[in-house]
Amino acid sequence: MNYPVWQLGFPGGLLIAAVAVLHVFISHFAIGGGAYLVLTERRAYSHNDLDLLGYVRHHSKFFALLTVVLGAVTGVGIWFTIGLVSPEATSSLIHTFVWGWAIEWVFFFVEIAAALIYAYHWDTLDRQTHLIVGWIYFVAAWASLVVINGIITYMLTPGRWLETGKFWDGFFNPTYWPSLWIRTAMAVALAGIFGLVTAMGEPSALRERVVRWAGWWLVLGIAPLLPLSRWYFHDFPSYSRAYFSGMYPQIRHALLAAAVFSGVALALALLFALLRPKMMNPVIVAVLLVAGIGVMGAGEYLREFSRYPYVINSYIYANDIRIGQVEAIAANGVARTSPWVEGSAADSRADRSNYGRQLFALECGSCHSVDGYRGMRKITRGWDTKFAGEILLHLPVVRETMPPFAGDAHDRAALGSYLASLAPATPSGANDKEIGQQVFAIHCAMCHSVGGRQRPLDLKGTDPEAIAGMLGTLGDINPDMPPFTGTDAEGRALAVYLNEPSH
Amino acid sequence: MNLPIPYPDPMPLPAPVWLLRTLLLLTFFLHVLFMNCLLGGTAVALVCTMRRKSSAFSARLAGDLGPLLPSVFAFTITLGVAPLLFLQVMYGQFLYASSILIGVPWLAIIGMVILAYYGVYFFSMKAHEKKGKTTVVLALALLLLASIAFVYSNNFTLMLAPERWLDLYHSHASGWNLNWSEPSLVPRYLHFVLGALAVAGLGLVVMGLRQQEDGYRQWLIEQGSLLFTGTTLLNFGVGFWFLVKLTGPVRLAFVGGNAFATALLGVGMLLPLAAVAHLIMAKAHKSPKRQLVVGVSCGLLTVAVMVVMRDVLRNLALAPYFNPNQLPVAPQWGIILLFVLLFIAGLATLYYMLRKVAIATKAQVAAAQELQ
Repeated sequence: MNYPVWQLGFPGGLLIAAVAVLHVFISHFAIGGGAYLVLTERRAYSHNDLDLLGYVRHHSKFFALLTVVLGAVTGVGIWFTIGLVSPEATSSLIHTFVWGWAIEWVFFFVEIAAALIYAYHWDTLDRQTHLIVGWIYFVAAWASLVVINGIITYMLTPGRWLETGKFWDGFFNPTYWPSLWIRTAMAVALAGIFGLVTAMGEPSALRERVVRWAGWWLVLGIAPLLPLSRWYFHDFPSYSRAYFSGMYPQIRHALLAAAVFSGVALALALLFALLRPKMMNPVIVAVLLVAGIGVMGAGEYLREFSRYPYVINSYIYANDIRIGQVEAIAANGVARTSPWVEGSAADSRADRSNYGRQLFALECGSCHSVDGYRGMRKITRGWDTKFAGEILLHLPVVRETMPPFAGDAHDRAALGSYLASLAPATPSGANDKEIGQQVFAIHCAMCHSVGGRQRPLDLKGTDPEAIAGMLGTLGDINPDMPPFTGTDAEGRALAVYLNEPSH
Repeated sequence: MNLPIPYPDPMPLPAPVWLLRTLLLLTFFLHVLFMNCLLGGTAVALVCTMRRKSSAFSARLAGDLGPLLPSVFAFTITLGVAPLLFLQVMYGQFLYASSILIGVPWLAIIGMVILAYYGVYFFSMKAHEKKGKTTVVLALALLLLASIAFVYSNNFTLMLAPERWLDLYHSHASGWNLNWSEPSLVPRYLHFVLGALAVAGLGLVVMGLRQQEDGYRQWLIEQGSLLFTGTTLLNFGVGFWFLVKLTGPVRLAFVGGNAFATALLGVGMLLPLAAVAHLIMAKAHKSPKRQLVVGVSCGLLTVAVMVVMRDVLRNLALAPYFNPNQLPVAPQWGIILLFVLLFIAGLATLYYMLRKVAIATKAQVAAAQELQ
C-alpha cells in the first residue's frame, strides 16, 4: 500500500524463486566447494599425486568463474528482486538486520579476494600459504552462510523477536540450527556433484580416483538430510505444520520431489561413484546436477510455502501489507490509504473495474496472475459479484495460506466485481445432477471436496429438500461460510448432486 | 499536489545517521574508484586492443589490463553492495519506489553485470593474443557497463523526484520506464562517465610509476596524463551543464545559497585543476615522481569531494520532503562493535593474503631476473 506495485503480468514471487534457486544452487556449492578444493589439494600433496593436483588447479578456475561471477551477482540479484517485489518487507529486514548484512559483507569481501588469489596464484604462493588462503576462503564462505541463515530463518520463525524486537532473538530463532546444518550438508553434497562435473574432463585413471573421492562428498552430504529435515520441520511454526497434513498438494509434491531427488542422487552416487566409478559418465553427472537443483528447489519451496500467509511470520503478509495495517485499511479504504491507486470505489462503473484491477495488483499480485501461475480466471469461473465479494471476507479460512483482504466494503465490492468479470459462466447441463456438479465447483469447491482430502462434504443420501434448506442458512452452520448466492434452481440442482454425488 | 512518498519504515534506524552516512560515503568512494577503473579501464583496453597491431605499447597495456580487470570487476561489485545497503537504511522509501517504477531496466542490471563480467574474463584470457574476437567482446562489455551506469543515473535521479512518480507509474506499471524527463539526467551521466575515464587515466599514471622499464613507463605516464587532462577539461564544461540543469533551489545552494555546498563546488573545481597542473609540470621535470604523486592524489581527492557533493545534492533535493536526521534512532551498539571488530579482522586477513602474494611475486621476479 505504501509502495507502487511492479505489475509484471506474472506473480513477483515467481521471479524471486527463479533468481533464488539459481543463486542458492551456486552459493551452496561455493561453500562446500571451498572445503573440497583445499582438502583435495592437501590430499594431492600427501599422496604426492601430481595428476590430482592438476585436476584441482583446473577445478579451482572453474570454481572461481562460476561462484565469483554467477554466484555472487545472483546473490545481489535476489536483493534487487525482493526490493522490487516486497519493498515493505525488504525495508523491514534491512532495518532489523543491517548490521548482520554488514558483517556478511565483510565475509563476502574476504571470500571473493581469497577465491581469486587461490585460483590465480598456484604458481606464485608456496604450498602452505596456498592452502591457508584456501582455508580462509572456506571459513569466510561458510561464515557468510552463518549470517544469512539467521535472516532467512527469521522470516519463517521470528521466535522471541516478535515480543522483544531484539537482533539476537530474531537471529538465533527456532529454525536457525537445523537450517544451518541442512544447508551445510547440501553444500558438501553440491561440492561432490561439481567435483564430478570437472572430473569428466580428466583422463580415465585419474578420473576414476576423482569420481570416487567426489562421490564420498556427495554421499556424506545427502545422507544426513533426512534426519536433519525432520528436526527442521519439527521446529516449523505450528500453523504451518498443519500444511504438512496432506491437505496442500503443493507441500505433498515438494516433499515427494525432495525425497525422490535426494534418493536418486544417493543411489547414483553409491552405484556409479563409489562402487563402479569406471561407469560414471556425463549423462549421470547431468542427472545428478538436475537432482541437486531439484533438492535445493524443493527445500526452498517448502520453506517459502510454509511461511504463507506471511513474508515475515506474524509481522508482514505475503502481499507486503503489514498485519498492523489491515484494520486501518479496512476502516479508511484503499483509495485513501494508497496514493498509488487511481480513482476510488465510488467511481462510475467503467472506472470501478479499473479500480478493482488495481486492487488485484495491489493485494493479490504477489502470488496470483490472471491467466498464468495461480491464475484467477480458472478459479473464479462462474463467480457472481456478490459471491466474490463474500469470499474476500473469508480468505484466511478459504486457504490458511492467504492473507486477509485489506479494504472497506466498497473496495471489497470493486475487487469482487473485477474477479467476477474474469470468467462469467452459468451452470448448464443435461440434468440437475450435472448442473449441480457445476454449481458445486463454483460455490463450494474453493473450500470443500466430495470424497477428497480437502474438508470433505458427505451429504450422500441426505434429503435434497433438507440440503436446499440448509443453503439458506449457511452462516448459521458456520459463520465462516459465505451465503449461497446461486438461484433457487441452482440450489436445488446442487442438492441433487450432493445427495448422489459422482466423482 | 499530494506526492506518493511512502512513509519511512516504522522501525528506528539501527545506528545514528552520522555513522550510517560515514559508512555510506566511505564505501561509495571506494566503489566509485573501482567502478571508474573498470569502466575507464575497459575503454582503455578496447582502444589498446584495436591498436595492438600498430603499437607495441598498446598491445602490452592490453596484456597488462587483461588479468587486472576481472579483479577490479569483483571489487567494484563487492564494494557496491555496502553503500547500497546503507543507502537503503536511510533513504529506502525513495529508492524502493523509484526502483519499482523502472523495475525492468533496474533488474536488467543483474543480467548485464553477469554478461559484462564474463566478457571481461574472456578478454583476460585472450588479452595477449594478437588476433581474435576480443575487440567485439570488449566493445560489448563496455556497452553493457555504460548501460548499467546509465540505469543507475536514472534511478538515483528518479528517487529524488517524487513529483514524477505517479505519471510514470500510471503510464507503465510494468516498470518499463526510464527517467527521461529529468533535465539533469544526461549531463549528470556524462559527467560521471567522463570522470571514470579521467580516473582510469590516473590509474595508467600509477601503473607507469610502478613500471621498471623506461620506455613503457614514460608512455603509460604520458597516455594516462593525457587521458586525465583531456577528460577533466571537458568535464568542466559538462559539469557546468549539469549545474545549470539542476532545479532552482538546489542550483542556488551550490552557487552561494549554502556555504558548505558552494565551498565543496569551489574545492571540487580547484583540485582537478591542481591535478592537471601537476601532471603537466611533471612532463618538464627530470624526476617527475613527486609531481605525479601529487597530481594523482589531487585527482583522487577530487573523487572524494565529488562523492560528498553528490550526497549534499541528494539531501538538498530531498529537503522539502525528508530529512533522515529526523528519523528515530535505536543503535544496536553491540552488533555495531562486532561488525567493527570483524571488519578490522577482515582487513587484516586481506592484508595478509595480498602481502603474501606481493612477497611471492617479488621473489619470482627476482629469481627470473637472476636466471637471465
